Amino acid sequence: MAELILSRLFYVLVFPGFLFCSAAGLLLAGIDRKMVARMQKRIGPPILQPFYDFMKLMGKETIIPHNAAKKVYLAAPVVGFVSLVVTALLIPIFGFTAFSGVADIIVILYLLTIPAVSIIIGGAASGSPYAGVGISREMVAMVSYELPFVIILLAVAKKVGLETGEGITFSLAAITQYQIASGALITKWALIPAALAMLLVIPCEVGSQPFDVAEAETEICEGPLVEYSGAPLGLYKLNYAIKMFIMTALFTTLFFGGPGVSVGNEAANTAINAVLFLLICAAVTVVCITLIHAVTARLKVEKLFKFYWTVVTGLALLSLILVWLGL
Amino acid sequence: MFKKLVNRSTAKSPWIYHINAGSCNGCDIELVAVLTPRYDAERFGFKLAGTPRHADIVVVTGPVTAQSKDRLIRTLEQVPEPRVIVSLGSCPKSGNVFKGGYSIEGPLEKYVHVDVTVAGCAPKPEAVIAGLAQAAQLLKQKREAMKK
Repeated sequence: MAELILSRLFYVLVFPGFLFCSAAGLLLAGIDRKMVARMQKRIGPPILQPFYDFMKLMGKETIIPHNAAKKVYLAAPVVGFVSLVVTALLIPIFGFTAFSGVADIIVILYLLTIPAVSIIIGGAASGSPYAGVGISREMVAMVSYELPFVIILLAVAKKVGLETGEGITFSLAAITQYQIASGALITKWALIPAALAMLLVIPCEVGSQPFDVAEAETEICEGPLVEYSGAPLGLYKLNYAIKMFIMTALFTTLFFGGPGVSVGNEAANTAINAVLFLLICAAVTVVCITLIHAVTARLKVEKLFKFYWTVVTGLALLSLILVWLGL
Repeated sequence: MFKKLVNRSTAKSPWIYHINAGSCNGCDIELVAVLTPRYDAERFGFKLAGTPRHADIVVVTGPVTAQSKDRLIRTLEQVPEPRVIVSLGSCPKSGNVFKGGYSIEGPLEKYVHVDVTVAGCAPKPEAVIAGLAQAAQLLKQKREAMKK
């Protein structure tokens, strides 16, 4: 019993949970910044720069504006952070899951909206007009990427369901098992448009360059974060970094799943697989976040909405239809 | 140990907020030039922040005109501690060619304690980077002097 509790605590606090996902997220954010710099022929900040930013913000004064709702203002980033850590616990790393069998894709879909909602709530609580503009934009962004995201998950679920004879399965464990048995889902060509659509959903979900309408620092002073300073701001920055890890991890799990590496010892297996998993996540980050960031400028809100509901939704729908036809 | 880590990180991640107090735009362009691929101040962790609440270093350009004086003071008050104020160019220090003008209420030192002054009209990007690096070290010292 005590052993069970200890292992659960280890899961929550260290390995797929709190420490691991924070470190992985900040590392991915650092790789992203460095790679953007290299693509623009700059030297760029050190890869550990997001760690420094986070630690510095922990040491800054926290100012609470006069007309802010104090409790909500301070609680909002924590709510977003906790929901992200919970999501990290539910995503399988190749064969390994901290809490297997309890999670399906729908839970993750809901958990992933909470950080965006926490930004909206925090922005609204800060009582700044810039935050007001920012949260309206954040809502538009949410509506834009949620629709294709749901269709992508539906296509994956239907594909695995058809192959395993269950009709449709939303269980992440079943999707992982299926990929271990018969290869990664990216090799099924009906799902390639869905994978492309997912690559386009990731930058909007994490709020990176062409799709960062909500935090546009040059037009609306970083939108919902305008009044935040010190530790809560650091927590929001950490949330963005972890979101980067969670989204790329979800992509890896859905499309690049498999048995992973096996050397015999279970702990060593998990460690090697985690490193391999992080490497794939970093590659996905460079392809879908960094590359797009380095070559594009920020879109208008309407353009963003139109892009997601036509191109990205079209790709996802194409994949869903192909899957439904049994291809 | 945590405190030590925070103090060391403070010098490595200074975020800049830029206020134009009636500048001719020359120094503003030089400040932006510092962030371009040629000089790339981001390699030291410098980043332009969008709001004074996120700033560590406030860079003021321009001779402080009557119109901008009140806004300047209000903006500077919104910056959380520890903060460093840098005056960029000759204008905030002396008024430069605008000195004696009817609308000039400078120098900047009349209203706020200036930590680093970078002179020049406009200063060279190398001088700007040197001034900002000095400001980052001052930031660390101020952080160490803070209580918690």
